[in-house]
Amino acid sequence: MIGRAGRALGYLALGAPAAIVALAWTLVSSILLLLLAPTQLAPRALLGATAVSRALARFERWRLGWYSRRPVPVPYQPTAAGPVRVRAAAVFRDPATRRDAGWLAALFPLALPSMLLAVVPTALAAGLTTAPAWLWAVPNPNAPELVAPIVGTWPGRAAAAVLGLALAPLAARWVLTLARGQAGLARLLLRPDDRQQLTALAERLATTRARVVDAQAAELRRIERDLHDGAQARIVAAGMTLALADRKLRGRPDDPVRADVELARRQLDGALAELRHLVRGVHPPILTDRGLAAALGALIADSPLPVDLRVPDDTSVPPAVEAAAYFVVSEALTNAAKHAGAQRCEVTLAGTADGGLTVRVRDDGQGGADPDGAGLDGLRRRVEALDGILSVQSPAGGPTVLSAEFPCAS
Amino acid sequence: MRIVIAEDLLLLRDGLIRILTDTGHEVLAAVDNGPDLERAVAEHRPDLSIVDVRLPPGFRDEGLRAALAIRAEHPGAAVLILSQYVERSYAVDLLADGDGAVGYLLKDRVTSLDDFLDAIDRVAAGGTAMDPEVVRQLFARNTRDRGVAALTVREREVLALVAEGLSNSAISAALSLAAVSVEKHITNILAKLDLPPDADSHRRVRAVLAYLNR
Repeated sequence: MIGRAGRALGYLALGAPAAIVALAWTLVSSILLLLLAPTQLAPRALLGATAVSRALARFERWRLGWYSRRPVPVPYQPTAAGPVRVRAAAVFRDPATRRDAGWLAALFPLALPSMLLAVVPTALAAGLTTAPAWLWAVPNPNAPELVAPIVGTWPGRAAAAVLGLALAPLAARWVLTLARGQAGLARLLLRPDDRQQLTALAERLATTRARVVDAQAAELRRIERDLHDGAQARIVAAGMTLALADRKLRGRPDDPVRADVELARRQLDGALAELRHLVRGVHPPILTDRGLAAALGALIADSPLPVDLRVPDDTSVPPAVEAAAYFVVSEALTNAAKHAGAQRCEVTLAGTADGGLTVRVRDDGQGGADPDGAGLDGLRRRVEALDGILSVQSPAGGPTVLSAEFPCAS
Repeated sequence: MRIVIAEDLLLLRDGLIRILTDTGHEVLAAVDNGPDLERAVAEHRPDLSIVDVRLPPGFRDEGLRAALAIRAEHPGAAVLILSQYVERSYAVDLLADGDGAVGYLLKDRVTSLDDFLDAIDRVAAGGTAMDPEVVRQLFARNTRDRGVAALTVREREVLALVAEGLSNSAISAALSLAAVSVEKHITNILAKLDLPPDADSHRRVRAVLAYLNR
């Protein structure tokens, strides 16, 4: 309680000199800016004045942070680069500039009275409490008749001390209330406004999400590599061994072991095919090694349908977008062949003006795809995690158009 | 046959060495990266190099690039590329110099030992060995080609085997056809694709692959 009240008192007391400086600066800068406004110096004057105002506001932010033990976030928009006029315009538009000015203008009428209102009761309580000491040390024989019994006698002095002690908690509470009021108002004007805070939050969320998506993509590539170097290599090695065994048994066509070896080879082939399928679903290795165009080329070569593929030569998009685009095409081609009864497909990739990527797959099938089916829903999540948009148009009777739009690299 | 191997995975390297030595070949060197491969080839001058596409440090196409560098240095040096998946551009890069003695197989083919050994022999002899999957993808690109569309089913079967690099006798064995009918089919195919008749099977393979890969 005593510590908090002490800090509150310090906060209010420091407010007084700040208030005087702020008043002086508010007057001087207003006059200066008004006078210079019609001249060519206006932008420079605004920039200079804002720099001083921000220095004062910084002190105010420090004062508030020290009192509330909670640093006050700085609200300014990043400094724009460019000519003075542009920078001045940016500073002028920054809402924090006006809020700073508002606080500096409010400081004098607010902080000076607060300081007086805080110091007087505090001084009174402190003075009364310590009265016995200083009345004894500096006796006043000429005290007026009315207060002489208090000033001159020990019981009187003790009574003054008791009164002071009784007043002290009241004074402390009063000081705290004053400080809290001023601090609340100060925080309102000195911190970033809600919109800025939301913007900052959104930026932070976008950054962390991008990091998660990248980490996930890297993890999938790692799993693909591990499967390739591990399980897949082991199965192929076992297949080699069996192939050798099979060859050695060739001279003995009646040996029943041959049938077992043959069966084991087929089983291994099945395992390998399954593993390959799994790896492709995780992250197709050709995508890592050769890029999107090559991976899509392999994909359409695997499709039972004739596919018209149009890919720009240079699709420099992040790996996560490449993978998502690949799976959009993969899913669309599978659906076209399996469910839509399509005869042919068109796959078109194109870069957008702002560095994004659009993927469009059109088939001539019977349509009627369920946009909320498991496959398309999973795809949508994948696309939306990258801030992309997946749209499915599949009227009964066709055609089906599946398109995904990815924004520029985040 | 004297062979050099470049494969970064120990298991597969050992498996290849075992297969090759068991079938009477000699493995002169087995390395796990491109530069070592180039050095080993310069030192041993092998009859054939068997190279994994994906080698350290980048695990992309270092093996292919090392193989191309070797062929630039030693024209006609026989190279068989092993890949985890089909990538048409690998085949295109390999065939680009027109010297022959190249092969491109999926890794899994190694377990079909007879086909694999046959491919090795073909490549070392200056021929071509294309994976059936590569050929299938090349065909898929040409579904609307007038020349390919004009082929009969049987002719397409023959063309696929020609594209894989099989000789006439191997084709007749594979399809249980008489040698003369294989020759007749091939003559018809070349005519329909508007390719010059060529008795040299290596040149014929390259012409067919070039046609399919236009």
